[in-house]
Amino acid sequence: MPQPVQYRGMALIVPDNDSEWKEFYEHARAHRLVVRKCKACGLMRYPPTHACPWCMELGWTWHEVSGRGTIYSYEIVAHAIQPGFKEMTPYAVVLIELDEQRGQPTPDEALRVIANLVKPDFTAEAEANVQIGRRVRVVFQDLADHMALPQFTLTDEPPVGRVWRLPE
Amino acid sequence: MVVQSRGLRDKYCIVGVGETEYSRASARTTRAMAVEAIRKAILDAGLKAADVDGMLDYQGGDSTLANSVASDLGIRFNFYMDVMGGGSSTEALVGLAMGAIEAGMCNTVAIYRSMNGYSEFRIGGTGARAAQPVRGLDLAQVPYGMRSAGQNFAPTFMRHMFEYGTTSAQVAHVRVAHSKHASQNPKALLKQRVTVQDVLASRWIVKPLHLLDCCLETDNATCIIVTSAERARNLRHRPVYIMGVAGRVSKPRLDFHWAHGPISRVAGYYAKDIIFPQAGIGPEDVHVTGSYDAFTFTTMLQLEEYGFCKKGEGGAYVSSGIIELGGKRPNNTSGSHLCEGYTHGMSMVIENVRQLRGAVDDYCPRAAEGVHTYDYSPGHCRQVKEAEITMNLGWAMPATGSALIMRR
Repeated sequence: MPQPVQYRGMALIVPDNDSEWKEFYEHARAHRLVVRKCKACGLMRYPPTHACPWCMELGWTWHEVSGRGTIYSYEIVAHAIQPGFKEMTPYAVVLIELDEQRGQPTPDEALRVIANLVKPDFTAEAEANVQIGRRVRVVFQDLADHMALPQFTLTDEPPVGRVWRLPE
Repeated sequence: MVVQSRGLRDKYCIVGVGETEYSRASARTTRAMAVEAIRKAILDAGLKAADVDGMLDYQGGDSTLANSVASDLGIRFNFYMDVMGGGSSTEALVGLAMGAIEAGMCNTVAIYRSMNGYSEFRIGGTGARAAQPVRGLDLAQVPYGMRSAGQNFAPTFMRHMFEYGTTSAQVAHVRVAHSKHASQNPKALLKQRVTVQDVLASRWIVKPLHLLDCCLETDNATCIIVTSAERARNLRHRPVYIMGVAGRVSKPRLDFHWAHGPISRVAGYYAKDIIFPQAGIGPEDVHVTGSYDAFTFTTMLQLEEYGFCKKGEGGAYVSSGIIELGGKRPNNTSGSHLCEGYTHGMSMVIENVRQLRGAVDDYCPRAAEGVHTYDYSPGHCRQVKEAEITMNLGWAMPATGSALIMRR
């Protein structure tokens, strides 16, 4: 696998022996969002890990999820740390709660993913539209022949629960 | 899982503390600073180098290891260990020092942290840190422009605001209080008192955090010396007894703590059930707190999680005046990370040791003799009257924290 992949001034390194991420990004490049699903108890987890955090089973399979979810929390970066993000400010980092496995196996748990909230052209979504409760879907930002970054974009679906953003 | 107390309450003491100048241009190595801080702590304790036979330090690839600084000082080890880590390490290493002594491995342990946190490896993630390649678990966040501590923690506070109605103005009172305390501290980098309006008018760094919600990247070294209560009784200062300690207590899913909610819950949720039974006290018995202020809201989250107020009422607690000098339970009386300088937690333990000795280094004319005026107007006293029990709440991140209860 050619590497590193350069993105916004960062060297993203996913070597051939990367037992966690290599296949995840290959699926993402084929525009599939996958998580690991336990062969024993069937629960899914993200990011990729090697044993089931609930039953310690080693066996797992990649499982494609719908990529649909809800904004659970967020931040708006005004002052970028990484030089390659300065032109993107202000940008939203969102914590997405995926539709699959919400509130399982305990009410406090869910499949959650960090990404940017972007417009379909991968520019930063306007700050006024970044709200807890808004519905989103995954989009894939192709970075190389073998790698794409999952990102999220707003949908027109009705929100889940209370819609809220930081007061001005 | 219940952690059974081992009955070590009051059997170990902190006997020496020391630090270098807090600056943004130390113009020297972390080795040079560490040697100065350790030497000061040894002398503060009334010990000699030969009395120190254990050492623990922590760092993140930005400091000097124990083997060189100990050799500079002529210390021969019976025990030492260099540990990876940042915030929340201080309290954890105090506990490990007790464990090493209890196990008969050594007698007296010096714990140090030395960093050029502004002039060399900026804690905020700029410069050398930002240029590092992204691999492994970092791929889950860093490619999205989420690298600095503020960026890593902000969604926790945002969710707290959503769930409990906590406001920016409420946590701004943490900065207000700590700036008040720093105005009484000759060592502090920022001695100017600020208002809530000053905090809210400062520029955004990562919403919901303003510039003045964030701490100060600083060059410094700090040292704390731990020994048995038996030895402590013959040393220079009145002993400061360790009543309880909890180290790097964590939430589930430390690989990606967002997976286990509510994310507005922090590690103190678990740590409080270890430390209070050890110490045999509750939050209401604590006179002075030191709650890690990497950001204003980290102080608030921990105070509420350890039960100094009800969950969700941290905003009201920190804006009530309770946490200010002159209030019922002052917090971070040195001005700490927000105003004094960033030390990865060490300075907050050092400050509480000095509070318990009745010997903070404020502007009181006879401070050196331990005589204080208790005048908390600018440029005067920061000694808390009759401070008998203090508690430190150490923070590494929302999902990991440590705690330490001490008494005089």
